Amino acid sequence: MKTGDVGLLTTTLDKALEWGRSNSLWPLTFGLACCAIEMMAIQASNLDISRFGSEIFRNSPRQSDLMIVSGTVTKKMAPRLRRIYDEMPYPKYVIAMGVCVIQGGPYNQGYSVVLGVDKVVPVDVYVPGCPPTPEALTHGIITLQKKIRNETDR
Amino acid sequence: MMQDQKSKSNPDEWVELNMGPQHPSTHGVLRLKLKLDGEIVKDVEPIIGYLHRNAEKICELDYYCDAMMYFDRMDYVAAMNMEVGYLEAAEKLLGIPPPERAQWIRVVMAELSRIAAHLVWAGAYGLDLGMLTPFFYCFVEREKILDIFVEVSGSRQQVNYMSIGGVYQDFNDKIIAKIEAFLDQFPGKLEDIYKAFINNDIFISRTKGIGILEPEVAIDYGVTGPMLRASGIPYDIRKEEPYLVYDKINFDIPISHKKDNLARFIVRFEEMRQSVKIVKQAIKQIPEGPYFNPKSKKSLMIRLRGEGEYYARTESPKGEFGVYLVGDGGVKPYRIHVRSPSFKNLSVLPVLARDTMVADMVAISGTIDLVFGEVDR
Amino acid sequence: MLVEIIEETKGKDGRRILKVAKENLIELMTELKKQGFNHLSLITGVDRKDKLEVVYHLHNFESKKYIVVKTETLDERVPSVSGLWSSANWDEREQYDMMGIVFEGHPNLKRMFLPENWVGHPLRKNYDLKKVQYINMDEEGNDYATFDPGDGW
Repeated sequence: MKTGDVGLLTTTLDKALEWGRSNSLWPLTFGLACCAIEMMAIQASNLDISRFGSEIFRNSPRQSDLMIVSGTVTKKMAPRLRRIYDEMPYPKYVIAMGVCVIQGGPYNQGYSVVLGVDKVVPVDVYVPGCPPTPEALTHGIITLQKKIRNETDR
Repeated sequence: MMQDQKSKSNPDEWVELNMGPQHPSTHGVLRLKLKLDGEIVKDVEPIIGYLHRNAEKICELDYYCDAMMYFDRMDYVAAMNMEVGYLEAAEKLLGIPPPERAQWIRVVMAELSRIAAHLVWAGAYGLDLGMLTPFFYCFVEREKILDIFVEVSGSRQQVNYMSIGGVYQDFNDKIIAKIEAFLDQFPGKLEDIYKAFINNDIFISRTKGIGILEPEVAIDYGVTGPMLRASGIPYDIRKEEPYLVYDKINFDIPISHKKDNLARFIVRFEEMRQSVKIVKQAIKQIPEGPYFNPKSKKSLMIRLRGEGEYYARTESPKGEFGVYLVGDGGVKPYRIHVRSPSFKNLSVLPVLARDTMVADMVAISGTIDLVFGEVDR
Repeated sequence: MLVEIIEETKGKDGRRILKVAKENLIELMTELKKQGFNHLSLITGVDRKDKLEVVYHLHNFESKKYIVVKTETLDERVPSVSGLWSSANWDEREQYDMMGIVFEGHPNLKRMFLPENWVGHPLRKNYDLKKVQYINMDEEGNDYATFDPGDGW
């Protein structure tokens, strides 16, 4: 029997798994600097993130599957960031929030800032802004959900 | 039983534990190396530098008016107070004073920013001790203040609103109506938040009598702000060396003589009530006139030259915030140094946390009110 | 006062500035502490290209007086005042890290913000921003700095 005969069963199973993963992303608390206050504001009750499935922010990397890097990543902090990313189990996703983690931000003339967090971990969605408003971060999370379900253009 | 444990401990049997830079209750990137004897903390060594963004070096590479954006991001929950602090030094060094209307507008914005900073502290402190409800109440009130900031300057948190010689945009009737609507309903909500903390037995037993800071130790370590006022010393720069128009406004300074965590909590809540009183008086007294000094138009601001040195102190929500500016006659600053209150307040943690349990150390480090953009600069 | 002062001026912000040689610094500070200046607010270093200048801000709570003390050094060594005020401890470590001033008599002079083997002192005027250094962490969790881009971030 060729493996292509059971294609209908596995693609439907894949779609169900992707639907389940995208609607229940639990983030990790990784607030470093100013963008972390906007991340706390999105947990509060005015601009609620738990209506998109992120019910609670977990404290331990082994229990979460999304890492929102918010705030400047300095060279001294980068090895710890890499280690925490390595401790998360698969499947895992990363959102880069703010211009400091995209290309260094206003501090890219200095000597102690890593110019972009994609030198440390692979990134899925970039959200620009200094700091991005909570609505922009919500748009980033919805884009990530579409990417998991393979509905985006690229 | 605690006395026996203190006398019998052998330094060779202490366990070394690392509370790393990523931790849910260290309010940012603070690393603590603990030496534990069972559950009792014998020694704490804070290691900082994980958010060192070299703001002081970058400010030497650009003009005087460009340094404003780096001061916004130092104490990122109270950005308007940082701007007031920098401008007190820069305007005196360059010789460009702001007009009356701009000074009253700056006082209103600084006091609203002080209320927002204390609300973030109260919500996060509740989360540290395991209370979820005050976090939501505090952030709902803070959203109303951020709505006023968006109306005034265009951005929620890192506003670049004040500039050398005045403010960027003027007040109009819509903004004043929004501020008055906020002030009408805020005192009632503040009482609700206060009751949510005070009527909780677990909160009282985790804060009363814990973390006693004697006034002599506090002065020796350079502690200022609500921590010093909760140890009994009435030191507030707004009354000692009044800047802007604080000498024309009527307000009180809360102090307490109990010196523990609960005293620091009550002092910060009382400061929020006094800030409401200040804003109510200031809103009625804003005079008509220009909001920008006509000598420094925006196109000429990059050619201002500064000579000599100046040190200005202001009162930020965390304590005494000082900016030391040195100019050498050019268009760029020669040296900027920031006296940050959280840096000095953190240095007293090893004294406060000796011979307490680990859970008490977490509660004590929450009342110090650390913001790491200011500690590491 | 019995201590020899080089010059006494008044700054642009209206405060008294006392200039003193670094050999008489501890004597002057002990005398000022006896007069009631028990709050050391700030220690700063300024790089004046041929010499290094150290500035101390002192404050008296009872009489509300504020005084500024300045000293200079040509060989980067200054006596430490951390025996008189405990708030000098962290301030002097920070100025050693950023400016390279060595405070003699400090109990624990280590770098504050950067790893121990970082080369150079960043806030000096002759620091070259083009020589990039990278930081990595070893197995025990301590940081070290290298010039090799493959070894760190």
